[in-house]
Amino acid sequence: MPQLTTGKPLKMKPQSKSAFVRFMKQIDIQLMVLPALLLVIVFSYIPMYGVLMAFQDYSIFKGFLASPWTGFKHFEMFFESPDFYGVMRNTIVISLLKFFIGFPAPILLALMLNEVKNMMFKRVVQTVSYLPHFMSWVIVAGLVMSMLSTDNGSVNILLEQMNFIEEPINFLSLPELFWSILVSTGVWKEIGFGSIVYLAAIAGIDPSMYEAAAMDGASRFKQIFLITLPSIMPVVIIFMILAIGNLLNAGFEDILLLAVNPVLRDVSDVIDTYVYRVGIQNSRYSYATAVGLFKAVISVGLLTMANYIARRAGSSLW
Amino acid sequence: MIRLSFGDRVMTVIIYMLLTLLAFMTFYPFWNALVISFNSGMDTALGGVTFWPRAWTLENYGIVFNDARLLNAFFISIARTAVGTATSILLTAVFAYGLSKKELMGRKFYMVLCIITMYFSGGLIPSFLLIRELGLMNSFWVFIVPSLVSVWNMIIFRTFFQGLPAGLEESAKIDGSGNWGVFFRIVIPLSGPVIATLSLFTAVYHWNDWFGPSIYISSEGLLPIQTMLKQILNSNIVSDQLAQLDSAAQGQLAKMRTVTSKSLSMATMMVATIPIVLVYPFVQKYFVKGVLIGSLKE
Amino acid sequence: MKRNGKRFAPVLSAFMAVALMAGCSGDGGNAGNAGGNAAASGNAEEGSGNKPASVYELGKEQLEFTLYGHYDWYTMPAWGGDITSTWIKDTKKVNVKPIHSGGAAQQKLNTMIATGDLPDAIWLERVDVEKLRSADLLVPFDDYLDKYPNLKKWLGDEGINMLRSEDGKLYQFPNWYTKQPNGNAGYVINKKIYEELGSPKLETTDDLYNYLKLVKENYPNVVPYEPHIAKDGQGIDVLYSAFKENDQKYPGMRAVPSGDKLTSIFLDPEYREAMQYISKLFREKLITQDALTQTIDQITEKVMTGRVAVFASASPTEIAMQAHAELTKNDPNAGYFMIWPIHKEGLDKNKIFPGTYGMLGWNVTVITKSAENPEAIFAFYDWLTGPEGQSALMWGPPGIYWDGVEVDGETPVFTEKYTSEASELAKLQAITTNLNWVGNTVFIDTTKAKFEETLPVEQQNWSTRYQREITWKTQSNATEFINIDPQPDSEEGIIRQQVEDIYLEARAKALFAKDDAEVLAILDQAQKDAEAAGYDKLLAFKTQKWQENLAKIGS
Repeated sequence: MPQLTTGKPLKMKPQSKSAFVRFMKQIDIQLMVLPALLLVIVFSYIPMYGVLMAFQDYSIFKGFLASPWTGFKHFEMFFESPDFYGVMRNTIVISLLKFFIGFPAPILLALMLNEVKNMMFKRVVQTVSYLPHFMSWVIVAGLVMSMLSTDNGSVNILLEQMNFIEEPINFLSLPELFWSILVSTGVWKEIGFGSIVYLAAIAGIDPSMYEAAAMDGASRFKQIFLITLPSIMPVVIIFMILAIGNLLNAGFEDILLLAVNPVLRDVSDVIDTYVYRVGIQNSRYSYATAVGLFKAVISVGLLTMANYIARRAGSSLW
Repeated sequence: MIRLSFGDRVMTVIIYMLLTLLAFMTFYPFWNALVISFNSGMDTALGGVTFWPRAWTLENYGIVFNDARLLNAFFISIARTAVGTATSILLTAVFAYGLSKKELMGRKFYMVLCIITMYFSGGLIPSFLLIRELGLMNSFWVFIVPSLVSVWNMIIFRTFFQGLPAGLEESAKIDGSGNWGVFFRIVIPLSGPVIATLSLFTAVYHWNDWFGPSIYISSEGLLPIQTMLKQILNSNIVSDQLAQLDSAAQGQLAKMRTVTSKSLSMATMMVATIPIVLVYPFVQKYFVKGVLIGSLKE
Repeated sequence: MKRNGKRFAPVLSAFMAVALMAGCSGDGGNAGNAGGNAAASGNAEEGSGNKPASVYELGKEQLEFTLYGHYDWYTMPAWGGDITSTWIKDTKKVNVKPIHSGGAAQQKLNTMIATGDLPDAIWLERVDVEKLRSADLLVPFDDYLDKYPNLKKWLGDEGINMLRSEDGKLYQFPNWYTKQPNGNAGYVINKKIYEELGSPKLETTDDLYNYLKLVKENYPNVVPYEPHIAKDGQGIDVLYSAFKENDQKYPGMRAVPSGDKLTSIFLDPEYREAMQYISKLFREKLITQDALTQTIDQITEKVMTGRVAVFASASPTEIAMQAHAELTKNDPNAGYFMIWPIHKEGLDKNKIFPGTYGMLGWNVTVITKSAENPEAIFAFYDWLTGPEGQSALMWGPPGIYWDGVEVDGETPVFTEKYTSEASELAKLQAITTNLNWVGNTVFIDTTKAKFEETLPVEQQNWSTRYQREITWKTQSNATEFINIDPQPDSEEGIIRQQVEDIYLEARAKALFAKDDAEVLAILDQAQKDAEAAGYDKLLAFKTQKWQENLAKIGS
């Protein structure tokens, strides 16, 4: 039945045809999708009853059936907690900073790498820039702390030698500097790894397009905007949609390990660190689940919105 | 070759400078970790070890490789990464190709079904119970089966497939190929870069996963390298228990052991990451431009 | 790249509680009547004399059980991988099968509880015992206590009472319990700097302040006062003890006793005074500005290279001992020494305690109802905590580094190899100490002390010397304050979490305060916030627990 499965003719068929017949006619495509979908259902949907714990006072000892139901108690506790506004504000601000700086950074790197004609140089930079992705946050945080230390920290020594400062700056204890340190560390760590997928997208561009543009007199700089960017735009948009859906994930390990000074809590406490401290560490699983559920609902809302807007730009998730 | 304009030359110089700076900034910490892994731990504690080992030693690696189970763990990790990546990429690519077809009935429903799983999950215990019911506990397949389908990878695959020129498929269909035929004969060969990218991502995931094995695997013969290295590192760091050693032994140990938890963790990091890091340069050859155009002319 | 909306695993299971109740029956019945007469035989060496039939005899039959160490960092050494455990395996026929946490201890235990696949024994923190106990997952030891002599003999009734759960039964086997003071909290001084500055008097808080200023003026690159990781208290709490006689680490408890009640730390006059003093030191850069952010590696580096003048923490000896050895390599006049704890002018310096110790030691082992023969497991632990077991774990199986016992029937007689092959023994001990789940500090310390007395001074090591001369004399007994914290998921537990957050933030902010008035304002605000969170209720809870402890100790 392959001859029937191209897009346009199908749409023209009258709707009266029974769904079953239509389904059978495209059974080969359905068979591409259904086995994988079955796995998704088994491994993601069957265990999903776990989210109901958000509405219980779940005790690991009593189990799911015996734990008492509490309705929206945990949600209310979260919303009414004195920390709620601070935590939400930090989550949103840090997320947005990461989105506006951390999201374009790998694209920029991919574009720059694309301009490099020396293959050896390009490969070395590519490989080297993705190394930090493999260092654990514990090691990275240790590194940042010793670099920014006031006792012999290399950054302070450098600034002092260049006469920019007279006294060492206590970088990791100043609330006004924390967001910058956090975001730049994150960019440094993930920029190389994040650029890979854009490099893959760039590799798919037809080289004859550049040749044509060059004939028309477009400079290399212009070609980036005329050809490279538009060509990878569908991938960029999809990643942007997903990133918007992730806006409530402001970070966890990075913040936990970089914001060790309690004076930073006013600017560093985000949903995930808060839930870890208040929920997980105290075995309050229901509370943690409730906050997680709240996050998921907001995330799906954001995602839907982003997808709606993106659809007008021509690419969308669904 | 067309001569570069002045502006383009300035841009090229700036790009080379920025990239060199970035390369240094990302390379140095890794290099320093490598240097520390070859430097005596006690000496490292004095500070100032930067570009080259000051007190060269293999002692840190000695402790890591001292464990006979390490070789087996290496093998498990390689097997898991190879099998897990190959199967997951194949299944997910087929899945994504099906979902990229506009005429697919229920397409939107399927997509939404998948996307929901990216945000809602039931947590560890329900998953644990499921894995146990399926008989996957203490089985190699627990590494493979639950992660066969990656929704994230599917979305990326689909985006790339949708970007392929429609004309290619049409012409193949005129030649009498079905959707499966088109997928294997046209789509796969044209998708080198994205397959390489997602294979790399998947391989990295499989290689780095230590949490799954520590929950689902109790037989030592199946433990992968990451979990094993965590154990080796943990059993060698100074713990509250070690503080209870009798003082004579403490003094002795202090004299003989130049290994610190820092030097040891750097060595374990190297053993854990170098194999997977080396995959990328190998994968880069699939990023060469013109793959697409070559096939078009074929 | 894979990202789930919810990072943390919620948790659930049906039927498990029921499943666990079944399958565990049994040993209580016959144990009760056999109790009395077994105690009379009271000797650590098993297998001697005619014991009642119901007493489990170690080594007679094969005993195999699973043990789970509930710590991310703990990986049990392979049983039979060293000569000591091989010896135990062969002669006592005991095989301990480890269940590893794999670095994910909390999740591991949760899955084991939820599915009912509990290990036979769990090695864990005391605070985690009560929730397992109240879910009826643990086996009480009361019926075994009299049949197997060691725990009762070495821990004593007072300790046993302290460890009893609310239902009056004993469910936990302690590790490193003790009767003598121990601990290392105190002040370490850089010898070279001190002597170069003319060895000034260093006894009171004013002396310390002046000395630190002197250091700052003369050595701009040296950290005058290094408090270790200050967000955990450490050198900051040590300074508090200078202002409070008979301190039992009240800042660590976030509460101060006043009469028979525990009261707010923020209102404690000495705490407020100490915080002003500490803030002044920090403001004048006499305390490292990295105090709240630094890592252990950074601290080690500073101490090892002699770039600190005064180093104080809850246990400075470990790093200081290494650093002393390193610095004296090139310059015999360099290195570190400890001083008697600093006190505020007017206080009795013999009532200044920079650290505490607890008689119950550190952590505990529990036996779960999954165990087929819990009495046999208890019998094994009881043997392990006795002289023979402890000697084996510390100094190897008999016949190598020690052979036979003194006339007291328990102190091992060390052989010549103990000194001639000291490094081999140290290597062995580094492994077997991780198998010592029921460390008996009473026995080990006595034995160690007896032996070290025979050593010449130059062979005694740095930390042992200062432990004997200073730190063991200046640690207070805080046993009465053990286990006074509420369960984390209870109402008081939630309050405790909030007060904890308030305390940590207030202390950090006080350090950064511009002047003394701001310090007091910060503490007042913290008091207000804590009250709003329910601090009084928490203090009432802690007071009650404390009073219960006192009653237990008294009884």
